[in-house]
Amino acid sequence: MSTVAVTDAVKKYDAVAALDGVTMTFRDGEFFGLLGPSGSGKTTLLRAIAGFVTLDRGQVLIDGQDVGGVPVHARNIGMVFQNYALFPHMSVAENVAFGLEVRGRPREDVAQSVKDALAMVRLGGLEQRKPKQLSGGQQQRVALARALVTRPKVLLLDEPLGALDKHLRQEMQVELRRIQRQVGITTIFVTHDQEEALTLSDRIAIFDSGRIIQEGAPMAVYERPVTRFAAGFLGEANFLPGRVTAMETGGLARVALDIGGEALCGLSSGQVGQTVLLALRPEKITLAADGRAGVNAVRGKVLDVVFSGNSTTYRIAVGEQVMVLFRQNLAQGTVAPGTDVVLSWSPDHLVQVTP
Amino acid sequence: MKLGSALLAAHLWLVLAFLYVPIVVMAVFGFNASPLYALPFQFDLVWYRELAGNTKLIDAGIHSVGIAIVNTIIATALGTMAALAFARYQFRGKTVLQLLLFPPVAVPWLVIGTAMLVFFYWIDIKRGLFAILLGHVALSLPYVIVVVGARLATFPRAVEEAAATLGATPWQTFRRVTAPLLAPGVIGGALFAFAVSFDQFVISYFLAPPGVTTLPVEIYGAIRKGFTPEINAISTIIILVSMGALLLTARFYRFGGER
Amino acid sequence: MAVADRRNRGAILALTGPAYLWLTATIFLPLSAMLYCSFLAKSPLVPAPASFTLKHYAAFIDRPVNQQLMLWSLELGAVVTICCLVIGYPAALALAKVIKGRWREAMFLMVVLPFWSNALVRTFSWTMVLRRDGLADQAIHFIAPWAPEFDLLYSYPAVVIGLVHSYLPYMILTCYISLQAIDDSVIEAARSLGARSGALFRRVVFPMSLPGVLAGSALIFVPAVGSFMEPRILGGIKAPTLGMTIEDQFTVTANWPLGAALSFLMLGAVLLICLALYPAARKRMEGL
Repeated sequence: MSTVAVTDAVKKYDAVAALDGVTMTFRDGEFFGLLGPSGSGKTTLLRAIAGFVTLDRGQVLIDGQDVGGVPVHARNIGMVFQNYALFPHMSVAENVAFGLEVRGRPREDVAQSVKDALAMVRLGGLEQRKPKQLSGGQQQRVALARALVTRPKVLLLDEPLGALDKHLRQEMQVELRRIQRQVGITTIFVTHDQEEALTLSDRIAIFDSGRIIQEGAPMAVYERPVTRFAAGFLGEANFLPGRVTAMETGGLARVALDIGGEALCGLSSGQVGQTVLLALRPEKITLAADGRAGVNAVRGKVLDVVFSGNSTTYRIAVGEQVMVLFRQNLAQGTVAPGTDVVLSWSPDHLVQVTP
Repeated sequence: MKLGSALLAAHLWLVLAFLYVPIVVMAVFGFNASPLYALPFQFDLVWYRELAGNTKLIDAGIHSVGIAIVNTIIATALGTMAALAFARYQFRGKTVLQLLLFPPVAVPWLVIGTAMLVFFYWIDIKRGLFAILLGHVALSLPYVIVVVGARLATFPRAVEEAAATLGATPWQTFRRVTAPLLAPGVIGGALFAFAVSFDQFVISYFLAPPGVTTLPVEIYGAIRKGFTPEINAISTIIILVSMGALLLTARFYRFGGER
Repeated sequence: MAVADRRNRGAILALTGPAYLWLTATIFLPLSAMLYCSFLAKSPLVPAPASFTLKHYAAFIDRPVNQQLMLWSLELGAVVTICCLVIGYPAALALAKVIKGRWREAMFLMVVLPFWSNALVRTFSWTMVLRRDGLADQAIHFIAPWAPEFDLLYSYPAVVIGLVHSYLPYMILTCYISLQAIDDSVIEAARSLGARSGALFRRVVFPMSLPGVLAGSALIFVPAVGSFMEPRILGGIKAPTLGMTIEDQFTVTANWPLGAALSFLMLGAVLLICLALYPAARKRMEGL
């Protein structure tokens, strides 16, 4: 299908920079997630690609062509809006046919394409209904069919699943992925839901204050966050500050942790005496009721236990800090609050992040 | 609370009776044979037949309808444009402009009518149908702006953007998406403007020269001379026309075409 | 909503321009012209060079009859407003809280419909009820044939009835909007805290509906003070109002400057009253 590229995009509203120098290339056929808190710039970027926002600086390129001066209706994009924006005065079939009709396609072609599009989103038989007669999930499918039937170069989704309840959302996530793979269209979507970004995307980019903090495959970004923000936004993390005491062979470093105890981990850059911040994901920690503290193992006391069905969350006081730990419920029973425990982890799971 | 609710509901029905009984009585007497409103009631269409021969009233009626139609076209066009500006844009002075819509509604029509009389005299616009039209449009504008504005407030903006992403040029978007969705509100505003003009008395009264009047002004003159059931007949017709227009407005204003 | 910038300014001007030009030419300029006229010594109809005087305003101070008329008119406005409030508020309450569903919309429409139709015709219809041998007279004699003749036409009460009939829907409309906006859960919360109907109304419902009450009052008081058509038809010489005097200046005596001066004096009085009540009103509506 198509590649989309954004180079050095800047967009300011009054003194606030919604986009502060964003560069990104979206590969042909990939499902790319723009993730970040409200106001971080992700929606502004999406709308700049669509053409609703004119950049103060920088370019948007579709298939290598600068589309800066090209109006929205000439960009050949497909877009699904947060509240679907279906035409309330038209039927489902008319909604889906709209894009083809304004391009002047012959009627028989239009009818057939509409039929195929609705079949693809599994909504055959609802052609004559009006949008207000449909459920949220059905409206969303219509919006998707409408956007795809014109075979656009790129598909843009603005928080597409935000209005759906949990079960429906999970169901639609699967559907969305299936359809995207079937059509093979370059898709860029915006979400503030990190779980959704992780499940849907081939690659993601994390936004903060108008900039991309980190981008890459979901697993890579999750396991190897670069900044504290990235680590904290995608899932949960324990942050362990410390000081490098020694550098060992193989790129390993010994770090004296502020909470007490010592960690041995790989550091991207390290000097003796340097203060570092280490991120450790809660699911990577092992909990033992007995055991010895040591390197990559610290002693603590259980504060709080929350049972959540397939896992249990423990809050453990370690030194001055409270650490969080997830444990899959393989065995019966949980460790009671007040118990002294030892937390341990593998050096591979410690990630140095910039604060 | 049941007693309280029942009392309130009864009160409401009484208020409705208060509002409608006089009108119904007036209409009924238009069908009574007696020229002196004497009972017992005898159904007769004599007064409507008299009306048909009353050229003065018929001329006034034609003037009223004509002015109302022209007023509707102008006020709806101007009012819809202004409402669009208010709904789409945020600009300095917007609040002031919106406040300026109050005087035509809140200032007594007596004052507005006489002021127009004075001003038009000075800029050499003679009393007559044109002057009356000028006044009617001014009075209709705030109502059109409010009715259309209310419709615009519920207008889903995102559908216009969606249309653009689907390849529709701005004109295509307007023709196929914006206009159909706006139509109910605009029609509602138009019907309202028609009713306002058709019923308008005070402004017409001051701006009408002798011999060329609108229906309400004629009726007023007739009332001053004395009550005849012919007045009842024409009044019934007027009220049916304006209530009809207003009922249609309600349909378009609240229920719209599809929502 | 787009924030205006240079590109949009043209569109905004093009869209709002025509309407507001029209309003300027037909409302704002005429009002200014009338203000100017009120200071003229001679009526503009008389060909003479313009000379200015305050004598028309002075006439108000000099001649007690004008002051009396002004007071009567203000009093009439107040009476009509209060009647509309007393009659209209419970009706609005019934509409907003008692009637539900489709009935509510239908009844609301029925209440508002007469208001928007011809005021002259409606006033005339009251003559059918109030006059000798009118509906009221016939009905009373039907029930109690020995009762004296009932002829309320050409009297002050008739004018009040006619004006209340004309403007009542205004009050019902504004109060209804205000009452409807009161969240049912607020009322439920008050009840759960122990408030019974009396306290509930006094301390929760009425204060929260105050904006509607005040809006309706303002919208009724001003036109009622300036009314002339209803007083003429229903009151004759028994209920003279300032409005009628002003009307005369423009139709009978052709003393436009005096009419203009009286108009502005009337507007001024009304404005003063509104301004005087505004701070108290504002305070009561804080937080709403």
